Parts: sequence; structure tokens; C-alpha cells
Amino acid sequence: MGKPIRITLKQANDMMGGLALQDFLVVSTSMFFIGIFGFLTRRNLITILMSVELILNSVNINFVAFNYFLHPEAMHGIFFAIFVIAVAAAEAAVAIAIIINIYRRFKSINIENVSEMKY
Amino acid sequence: MEIAASKVIFYIIAAAILFFALLSVTSKRILRAATYLFIVLISTAALYFLLNYQFLGAVQIALYAGGIVVMIIFSILLTSHAGQKFEPVSRLKFFASLLAVLVGWALSLWVILSHPFVASSKEAVEVNMDSIGKALLSYDRNGYVLVFEVISILLLAAMIGAIVISKKQPGDGETNPDNSKTSK
Amino acid sequence: MLLQYLSLMRQEVSLIFIAVLVLICELTVNQRYKKVVIPITLVLFGVHTILGFVPFDGGKLFGGMFATSHAQALMKSVLNVGVFIILLQSVAWLKKEVNFQKSNEFLILLFSTLTGMYFMISSGDFLMFYIGLEIASIPMAMLAAFDTFRSKSSEAGIKFLLNSALSSGILLFGISLFYAISGTIYFDDLPLYFSPVSPLFALGFIFFISGLAFKMSLVPFHLWTADVYEGSPTIVTSYFSVISKGAAAFITSILLFKVFFNQLYLWKDIIYLLSVLTMTVGNLFALRQTNIKRFLAFSSISQAGFILLGLVNVDSLGVTAIIYFILIYILSNLSAFGVVMAIANVTGKEEIKDYNGLYKTNPLLSLTMMLAMFSLAGIPPTAGFFSKFFLFTDAAKGGYYWLVFIAVLNTIISLYYYLLVVKAMFISPNEQPIERFRSDIYTRTALLITVVGIFAVGIYSPIFEYIRNIIDKF
Repeated sequence: MGKPIRITLKQANDMMGGLALQDFLVVSTSMFFIGIFGFLTRRNLITILMSVELILNSVNINFVAFNYFLHPEAMHGIFFAIFVIAVAAAEAAVAIAIIINIYRRFKSINIENVSEMKY
Repeated sequence: MEIAASKVIFYIIAAAILFFALLSVTSKRILRAATYLFIVLISTAALYFLLNYQFLGAVQIALYAGGIVVMIIFSILLTSHAGQKFEPVSRLKFFASLLAVLVGWALSLWVILSHPFVASSKEAVEVNMDSIGKALLSYDRNGYVLVFEVISILLLAAMIGAIVISKKQPGDGETNPDNSKTSK
Repeated sequence: MLLQYLSLMRQEVSLIFIAVLVLICELTVNQRYKKVVIPITLVLFGVHTILGFVPFDGGKLFGGMFATSHAQALMKSVLNVGVFIILLQSVAWLKKEVNFQKSNEFLILLFSTLTGMYFMISSGDFLMFYIGLEIASIPMAMLAAFDTFRSKSSEAGIKFLLNSALSSGILLFGISLFYAISGTIYFDDLPLYFSPVSPLFALGFIFFISGLAFKMSLVPFHLWTADVYEGSPTIVTSYFSVISKGAAAFITSILLFKVFFNQLYLWKDIIYLLSVLTMTVGNLFALRQTNIKRFLAFSSISQAGFILLGLVNVDSLGVTAIIYFILIYILSNLSAFGVVMAIANVTGKEEIKDYNGLYKTNPLLSLTMMLAMFSLAGIPPTAGFFSKFFLFTDAAKGGYYWLVFIAVLNTIISLYYYLLVVKAMFISPNEQPIERFRSDIYTRTALLITVVGIFAVGIYSPIFEYIRNIIDKF
């Protein structure tokens, strides 16, 4: 196998209907930090879980965009995204099982009363 | 002007994602926050469709938007009043987090955008149900059968654990009789 | 073909076999015979542990996704030893009425986390590594929340779950940037693409190492540790602080040496800083603790800082010292937790001041605890002295004299608080000491193994040589 011919990103973009990798990255990075912000400032367990989902989602966009624009010769990015989604689902299921247990046994409608996340 | 059209669609989706993501972490009403999260996840699926990854978009809608968000809403309805508002965090913590996140965001964005990405020019594989299915069950290089099998351990363990944790134990039925129906 | 797969994945296969067997028992065995399941599992796991030491050739499977070698098999065996002792210690706890109904589920969850650690240690690409990591941490959260009737336990579970999900997210962001640079996720291809180092790589690496530091609970990513350790059932706390931490240390060293070896100058300073911070802050917090579980939690944070000492100087001695240290750390810490658990099972007391005058009523337990404390602090002739000695030697060989100096200072500080516990048991008077009691046979066996181990592993030098030989070939 010879050395692959590198083409510039702009050429690649032109071939792909004018979408740019950088645009995707701005979206995913911003979403990632929005998620982190939510994780730091939220007090309710379910909303913290939602922030985590945002973070994982932004990582998925990253993987898919890199797969599409930079490395379309294999499907690593896509598979990473698929498995991250599967793991996120398992994570959410477990989190909600624990949250429901907290609610049911301690009758706390407001989860903040049970758990004061100490940081 | 097909090129411009996909660009315009992208910007609309991107704006929706960022706007609703911000709302979902700042909204004071929990059910609204969940709804905004739902919109973000659906818009992400739209991004995948825009890139022609139909399978991924379908998975995103079915699992993320359909599964996780429904689960979250279910647990919200079970544990909170729908219109309940919660206390904001202390100002100091809010602004400290905001500052830290803004610095991290600016720094990361600067590094990422100034990087000269080089695209590989190797021949692209076609991404469709057929190729994804074959790669998922292939045990050669670029095959994922091991991960596919191993993740079943995770799902089994998650299932068992979730049942054990939320199962009603003998002797604690009296703590909350209203919910006896939801327990296994 | 099939035989080759089986022989290379034998540890994983046999562990999953045991887990599935427990599951089948749970579904089919009559309630009356349920208590047979625990001893059978113990025996099977013991056989599995011993078989793990049988040398077998390494190799790669699934196109490089699964890679194993003598060194990796040894790491898994070290974890096995710890898990075996934990299983022995857990019997008394599992036989309590509240837990007995779900004892099989406990075993299944425990084995699935261990499976995750196996796959993490043997991973040949980032996807397998990530999945292994998640299998190692999601069931851990359920184990932490296992005491469903205690609010602190549920709180520990949800805290651990959310924090580990956040750290996975950060880690994944780093991995996605590596993927952007290289276009591959296989460990054997990745190093080709990483040099020359670009700012993007550095950013990805910082995200990646922060995620790992979360899992290892290094300072400043340790904030979740104390609450989770305190809230979890004691048996799970010991699992957290010993097995999870050991596995995380193993995979960190494998990744740093295998994938990021050429970027040594970049991560050396980060590891240096994390090591100093972790040792010092962990110690300073441990000084103030009054609850014995919290105390052990913080002391285990500072122990993680010592583990990092073996990483700053990159050679085979460093890795050998890490594996040796973790083996001894497993024995000493499990010995301490074994005593704490034995006392908590009978009396429910967990404060250090409850231990006052323990020697008068329970001399054997006190002596075991004293030995564990000496070994954790690193007093000769216990094994803890030798394990720390090798780590310090390795760092000094690399010229990190300041780091060694700080580590020695920290050892002296830690000596103070470990001896406080010993003082409480032997010297402090107490009108109502914990009553004399006798633990069950499993607990006593577990304590005996750890005590023998603390002496034998330190004094019997072929063990170190054995590890060294395997690592040299790696």
C-alpha cells in the first residue's frame, strides 16, 4: 500500500455538500461544556443525569463527524457512537432505579433533601 | 443551489441544539428541562440524517429520544410534581462554574478550531444496514463482535441490578402503599 | 481455532462461566438449598484463581481488539486474589437476613465488574477499553446502593454512578480527539500517528487523563470518594478501594506505556504533579477522620499517590514495583477492612473511638489490625515496607529525588495516623470496650490469608523475582 494522498479539508467539504467539520465541532464542544455546566450547577439528581446525557451526546456528535469528514475508510466513529448510546441507556436505567428506590423508601419527593451533593 | 440548502438546514439544527441544550440545563421546571433535552436529542438525530447515517439516526431516536427520555420523564412524574420549581444554586457557585466552563470552552474551541485536520483519502466504506451488520458480527480487524458480545454482560448486570435495587423488600411495604403497584 | 480462542480468553471464559452458573442457580435452585451456592462459588472461584497463575502464551484475538500476555494474566490473577479474600469476608454479611434474599445477585454483580476489569486490562482498542471500564463501574454503582434500606447507601450509589458517567464523558471526549488525529482506535496503530505532538493531542490527553484520574480517585478528582466509601456497605467499600483502584492503576500503566510511550515528556510532569497532590491531600484529610471507613478511604487515596511513583520512571522495575505494591496493598487493606467488617457485623460500630481497649477483649483481631496498619504505613518487617521501598528505589533511580523526599515525608505523616488506630486499640482505656466475640470460619480464614500474606510476600523474595521475570518478557 502506498502512502495515502492527503487532500485538504476544504476539498473534502466541497465534495460533501458544503458542510464543514468545524461547524460540527463548534456544536459538539459547546454542548459538551453546557453539559458540564449543568453537572456543576444542578442540584436535582434527575437534572444532573440529563446533563450527563448531554455530555455523552456531544461526544457522539464528535465521533460521527470525525468518521464522516476525516476517516470514512472505516466505521470506528459510528460504532463508538452506537455503543456509547447503548451504555448510556444502561446507565440511565440504573440511575433511575436508584433514584426511584431513594424516592420510595424515604418518601422524599424532592431528591435534593435526601442527597446534598457535596463538592 | 443544493449545497446552500444543506448548509442552511445544518445551521437551523445547530442553533436549535445549542439553544435548547442551554435551556435544558438552566430551566427551573424539571419537566420542561426534560422536554428541552428531548428536542436536543431529536435534533442530533437530524444531524445524523443530514450526514446520511440513517441507521445511527434511527438508533438515536429509538434509544435516546425514545428510551432514555421516556424513562427520565417517567421518573420525574413518579418523584416530583410536574410544575415543581427548584431553588437556584448559590450565586458564588453559579458564577464560579460559569467562569470555569467558559474558560474551558474557549480554550478547547481555540485548540480544536486551529488544528489543521487532514482527511484521509482512502476509499470510503458505504455505511448502510448491510455493512454495519456485517462489521458488528465480524471477528477480524475492524469487526466488533467481541464488544457486541461483551456489552451483553453489561446489559444483563444492569437489568439484574436494577431489579434488585428497585424491588420491594419484604417488610417495607408500609413505607409507601401508593407505589406498591410500580414495584415488581 | 476455537481452542486458541478459549486458551487465550480462559480467565474471562471461566469467570463468566461462574457468573452464569450462579445466575442459573438463582433461577432454579430451591430456597432451602440456597445457602449451598455461596460455598460452591467460593470453591469455583478459588480454582479459577489458582488456574490463573498457570502460565500460558499470550496473543491477540478479534483483529487486535483483545490482547493478552503473561503480564496481563498476572495482573488479573492479582485482582483474583483480592476478590477471593473479599468473597470470603462477604459470607458473614451475605448470610444476614436482609441480604440473603439477594446474595446471588450480589455475586453476579461482583463477577460482572471483575469481568469488566479483565476486558479493560486485556483491551486492544479504545472501544473495548471503554466498554470494559463501563462494565467495571456501572454494576459497582448498584453494589454501592445494595443496602436499599439505608439512605446513605443509595446516595453513595447514585453519586458514584453520576460521577463515573461524567468522567466517562470526559474520557470519551479525549478519545474522540485521538480518533480525529489517527483515524484508528487500535492501540498498536495509534502511536504511529501521535508524533509530532499537536496541541489537539495535548488537549485530548488532558481530557483522557482527567477521566482516568476520576476513576482512580486522584486529587483533585477525588471529591466523590469519601461519601461513596462511607455510604457503601463495608464489603463494597473494600472492593472499591482495593480492586477497582488496582485495576485502574493497571490499565493506566498499560496505556501510558503501550500507547503514549513516545509522549513521555508530556505526561511525566502530569503524573508527578498528580502523585504529589494525591499523597499529600489524601494524608491531610485522613488525619482528621473519626469514622474508620472514611479514614481508610482517605488513606487509600494517598496510597494511590504512591502507586503513581512507579510510573514516573519508565522501566520494567517500575511496573514490577506497581504490581508488587498493589498485591501487598490488597492484602494489607483487606486485612484492615476484614477486621472493620467483623466488628461492624457483630456490633455495628464504625468509629475509631469504639476501638478503644479492643486488645483486652479481642487480642487476635487487634493484632491483625495492628499488622495491617503497620503494613499500610510501611514498617518493616511487614510487606508494606518492601513494596514502598521498591517504588521509592525506582523513582530515585530515575533521579526524582524531590518526589521521593515528598513521598517519605508523607509516609511519616501516614505513620502518625495509622499508629493512632493502634494506640486506640492497645493503650486508650475504655470502660465499655467491644465485647469478646468469635467470627465465623470464613472471616477467620480470610484474615489468616491476609496475615500470612503480609509476612510471606514481603520476606519471601522469589515472589518479587517472579513478577519481575514476567514483566521483563512483556
